[in-house]
Amino acid sequence: MPNMREIRERIASIQQILKITNAMYLMSSSKLKKARKSLDATEPYFYKLQETIESVLEHTPHTRQAYFDRRTNIPEEKRKKGYIVITADKGLCGSYNHNILKYAEQKLAEAADIDNCYLFVMGQVGRMYFQRRMRNNKKASVDGEFLYTTQNPTLYRAMEIAQTVLKKFENHELDEVYLLYTDMVNSNLQEPRTVQLLPFQRKHMGKASDGTMKKLPKASFVPSPEKVMEFLIPQYAKGIIYGAMVEAFCCEQQSRMTAMDAATTSARDMIKDLSLLYNRARQAAITQEITEVVGGANSLEE
Amino acid sequence: MANTFQLEIIATDRVFFRGECEHLVITAIDGLLGIMAGHEPLVTVLPTGELKYMVDGKWLYAAISEGFIQVMPDKAIILADSCELPEEIDIKRAEEARQRAEELMKQKQSIKEYYQTQAALNRAINRLKVSQKHFK
Repeated sequence: MPNMREIRERIASIQQILKITNAMYLMSSSKLKKARKSLDATEPYFYKLQETIESVLEHTPHTRQAYFDRRTNIPEEKRKKGYIVITADKGLCGSYNHNILKYAEQKLAEAADIDNCYLFVMGQVGRMYFQRRMRNNKKASVDGEFLYTTQNPTLYRAMEIAQTVLKKFENHELDEVYLLYTDMVNSNLQEPRTVQLLPFQRKHMGKASDGTMKKLPKASFVPSPEKVMEFLIPQYAKGIIYGAMVEAFCCEQQSRMTAMDAATTSARDMIKDLSLLYNRARQAAITQEITEVVGGANSLEE
Repeated sequence: MANTFQLEIIATDRVFFRGECEHLVITAIDGLLGIMAGHEPLVTVLPTGELKYMVDGKWLYAAISEGFIQVMPDKAIILADSCELPEEIDIKRAEEARQRAEELMKQKQSIKEYYQTQAALNRAINRLKVSQKHFK
């Protein structure tokens, strides 16, 4: 039978932890509410942006714009690939970080040459993870100057990130740019996702389902298709990054809330089990004491 | 009742307007552009500027910062960073932003910072302009 004092100490320590997890639960649920609100506000923009860009591209005549340049002359193993990975700033949020990091790891493994992979990591946890990995001589360099938090996404931060990667693309420091983030499918299901940011891709290439070229009316571009695209693509990149940031932040809060809720529940369960054990031990001690007293009295009588 | 077309103005933080519109005037890079129903397909860029649209014979104004517009014969979609009605603009905040940006412009900055400050200044000035013009 375990010692009563030991059990009491354990219960006390679990109660302390319970207080912490419960407070974190409350905090993340209020943060989630805020994140949810901004996600709901941004989602129409996010989807409409993708939809509109797609339909704009259908009407775009072929342009020699730099962001469309697929650089096919560079062989697969020489292509410099950039990955923007959005993780959390803190841990204690269930499998959220784990999932996105594993997903990023998988993407890196798919790349032809890991030495040509460049990581732009948002969020402390991911940055730490990849830097530790870099020290262990598994290459894929992390950009040390790319320091952005994932807390409370702002359009301004998204713009800075977009400018950074677009510039690197223009300077041929990167040939492909991907964005890796966690997508909120619904409140119970979150999935890591990839979006290719650059080079800019046309999905349809103006072809109808039967393979013939679709006769799409060419839209007119003011002042010129190149000029419009030059502006439109940074705008698009900014919008997509912002949307992904909002989505990921919401996911983070959601999974932290779930994780903390689970922790609180299991702490309560443990306390319940331990109090039972404690009571049993106490009962046993009392019984023993009574037996001793009764035994003593009986021996006196005899 | 004049001919109308579907107009959608979506900012990053909300759906600003969605509905039937008779006439839309935007500030494109090279000047004002009027759009009515049946306009030819067009895509253009909207710098920070002013926007007006007519609903039920009444002109409505808005301050818009960086976005683009896609026009189809029966609809128009504007996607922008932000979009505000004149009465929503916080004059004090815009004024502060303008002063801050002007102050920064006087200091030595990198080219990138310079462009960013310039954009911020444009936004602030535009807000002030729209708000003073249409909301008193």
